[in-house]
Amino acid sequence: MGVTAIRIEGLSKRYGSVHALTDLGLEVAEGEVVGYLGPNGAGKTTTIRLLLGLIKPTSGRAEIFGLDCQREPVEAHKRLAYVAGEASLWPSLTGAETLHLLGRVQGRVDVAYREELIGRFDLDPSKKVRAYSKGNRQKLILLAALMTRPDLLVLDEPTNGLDPLMEQSFRHCIHEVKERGQTVFLSSHILSEVEALCDRVGILREGLLVEMGTLAEMRHLSALMVEATLDGSVPDLSKVRGVSAVAIDGRVVRCQVRGSIEPLLKVLAESGVQELLSREPSLEELFLAYYGASETEDVPARAG
Amino acid sequence: MSLPVQADLALDRRAAAGRSPSTVVARQTARKAVRSGVLWGYVFGLYLATQALAYATSYKTVVQRVRLAKEFESNAGVSALVGPAHEIQTVAGFTVWKCLAVLTIVGAVWGLLAGTRLLRGEEEAGRWELLLAGQTTRRAAAAQALAGLAAGVAALWAVTALITAVVGRSSKVDFSVGGALFLAVAVVSGAAMFLAVGALASQFAATRRQAAAYGGAALGVSYAIRMVADSGTGLDWLRWASPLGWVEQLQPLTAPEPLALLPIAAFIVVLAGVTVHLAGARDLGASTLPDRASSRPRTRLLSGPTGLNIRLMRGSVATWGAAIAAYSLLLGLVAKSAGSAISSSPSLVKVFERLGAGAGADAYLGVVFLIIAVSVAFIAVGQISAARAEEATGRLEHLLVRPVSRTSWLVGRLVAAAVVLLAGGVIAGVFSWLGAASQHAGVSFTRLLEAGLNIVPPVVCILGIGGFVIGILPRAAVVATYGVLVWSFLVELVGGIVNVNHWVLDTSVFHQMAAAPAVSANWATGGVMVAVGAVASALGVIAFRRRDLQGE
Repeated sequence: MGVTAIRIEGLSKRYGSVHALTDLGLEVAEGEVVGYLGPNGAGKTTTIRLLLGLIKPTSGRAEIFGLDCQREPVEAHKRLAYVAGEASLWPSLTGAETLHLLGRVQGRVDVAYREELIGRFDLDPSKKVRAYSKGNRQKLILLAALMTRPDLLVLDEPTNGLDPLMEQSFRHCIHEVKERGQTVFLSSHILSEVEALCDRVGILREGLLVEMGTLAEMRHLSALMVEATLDGSVPDLSKVRGVSAVAIDGRVVRCQVRGSIEPLLKVLAESGVQELLSREPSLEELFLAYYGASETEDVPARAG
Repeated sequence: MSLPVQADLALDRRAAAGRSPSTVVARQTARKAVRSGVLWGYVFGLYLATQALAYATSYKTVVQRVRLAKEFESNAGVSALVGPAHEIQTVAGFTVWKCLAVLTIVGAVWGLLAGTRLLRGEEEAGRWELLLAGQTTRRAAAAQALAGLAAGVAALWAVTALITAVVGRSSKVDFSVGGALFLAVAVVSGAAMFLAVGALASQFAATRRQAAAYGGAALGVSYAIRMVADSGTGLDWLRWASPLGWVEQLQPLTAPEPLALLPIAAFIVVLAGVTVHLAGARDLGASTLPDRASSRPRTRLLSGPTGLNIRLMRGSVATWGAAIAAYSLLLGLVAKSAGSAISSSPSLVKVFERLGAGAGADAYLGVVFLIIAVSVAFIAVGQISAARAEEATGRLEHLLVRPVSRTSWLVGRLVAAAVVLLAGGVIAGVFSWLGAASQHAGVSFTRLLEAGLNIVPPVVCILGIGGFVIGILPRAAVVATYGVLVWSFLVELVGGIVNVNHWVLDTSVFHQMAAAPAVSANWATGGVMVAVGAVASALGVIAFRRRDLQGE
């Protein structure tokens, strides 16, 4: 995997008695695209602000490419670019002036790529920031980050306010970034975005990292959704190993299976199986499962 | 997404408290305007009170008073600056002459800034959007905001009137209660008119800064017209062409003319009406006059945080610089005649001798340079406020997430601000010399340049304290810096009249300042003040490095 882009150890942040983030440990390898999920207030933005040195940790430490985020922020920031979900910019500067300024401050800009991005995101850079819509301001800070070709992109709900077309352009850009071997840390609550872009996903709940892994791993660890239509009546499944959340509707049974599916198949086969559907949970179901919505029978109706 | 929900909650809470959500704009505006009005009411009231008491104690005999009156009643230069002198052989006449023009200008500037901040500023910040999503129309919201501003004027008037009436009870001063109340009306009428100007300018312009510039131009024209009218060139009728002239026509205490309130009231009503009409006729966030929404990129300065800072502040700094230059020039122009008036009053000469000053133009300038120092100190507060705004709005983050250290950013801001303050002192010295030299006042260039530089240490000290508070308590930085300025000014003002404990006097940075050019600048004390500012700022920078960034 090579160099570690982000290393976080025992990172905590407390505001008075509120634990915004508790004992976070996390590593992101160079070239990885990692999604960071959680509802509002879970600590996603706190993590990112600690990573950027904008706020100070109560305990623990974070490194970017081996550089301490609190002690060597300037060196660390040379290698990264950050996009916030809310863009408050200087209202009297035009888009072009803002890009020029932020490029000069960063110290490196791929000018050709910048022009390409302006076209791709359909931005009029001659307008003053105060005349831009919220979406256009968001595009501007997204461009300001992408145009520097950073080694690490830290994105905090970056598509906030973008229309679906621009969201497409954004995904396209992240795929390019990934192909070039750049690292991406993407905080989001748009699950489809994370599912489409990320190699690994971390799930944060009330300041605690409750899950971290590839989508495949997470799916494997979680339950399989099974729906069977039987010939006869539904047998008692309560004693079958690994089965939970059983719902019976006439001769149709829905349940979740953890671990091997074999014991369940054996029991069902005794009643004669007309039709059997099984599938892995979507990221949304995984996500909801971590947030107390434990009843996951609301599986979308099977297609066809 | 979350905003409408929050607004709903806020409305629910208000509804539960038995308040109508339809007056939320009025109440919010009133809260801010009243707070500021009360503060300035104290400044106005204490200024009136100290001037009245000072006159009553330094000119005790009729002979002294008549001599002073003779000197000033025929002085065209002073008359052009602060208006003609009526009956200044009386406490009432002197107080009006000494205070009315000055406080009218201060009040007008306050009105302009408050009006544009609470209308265009709030709208620019997007706070109106939230309120208007509720139950108010744009027109009603503008009317409500005006009502809130009116509450601010009422607060300004009430505090001023109260203090004036109380001091008027003193046997030395002896103003009738009615006279004191009318004096307070006259003093705040400039503020009321220019609040309306600010409100109207907020409809024309797309940004608060631009609105303040429009209003400032209107104020400049009014002042210029009034100056010509009062300069003894036979153009007295021009006074009726300037709002500031109307205030003068009120002649409180000496020859009260309530009829002059008619044009003042009409002016306010018409401007308020047009403001409400225009507010309804335009889009939220838009301006009536065309706004240049796009422009060719000008990137010369935009190479880093310092360049950005210069780019953003050059407009307002240039405006302040021009105002200080103009004011210093005027003071220089009248210095000679004012100085000879001082020389003709034995008791005033005594006062100046106590200051260590002689008499003449330099003695007069030594006293009025305090006012210039206060004006320059406002730039210091403005710089602290601007630095804090960068952090509060989150704009600073765009720099700090890039290779910019917190230390270099804050130190850069403070150094740039100190350079601006230094320039302010030099401008004051050079332009007062230009004015004085043109009248052959006999004050040398070096002495006036020294006097200009002499005001720099106290204002740098205020700036430094601001830098300290930014580091340790960012949300209080603006209020605290403003507080140091107002406190220092009031202590110095009151301390000149009443016996005040020297420990209290010493807390005023302006009290530490030598009255140059009347006396030589004291560079040792100046050095100490600069050092205090520098150390305070250094501690502020250290604290800033160690703390979390804090939004609004």
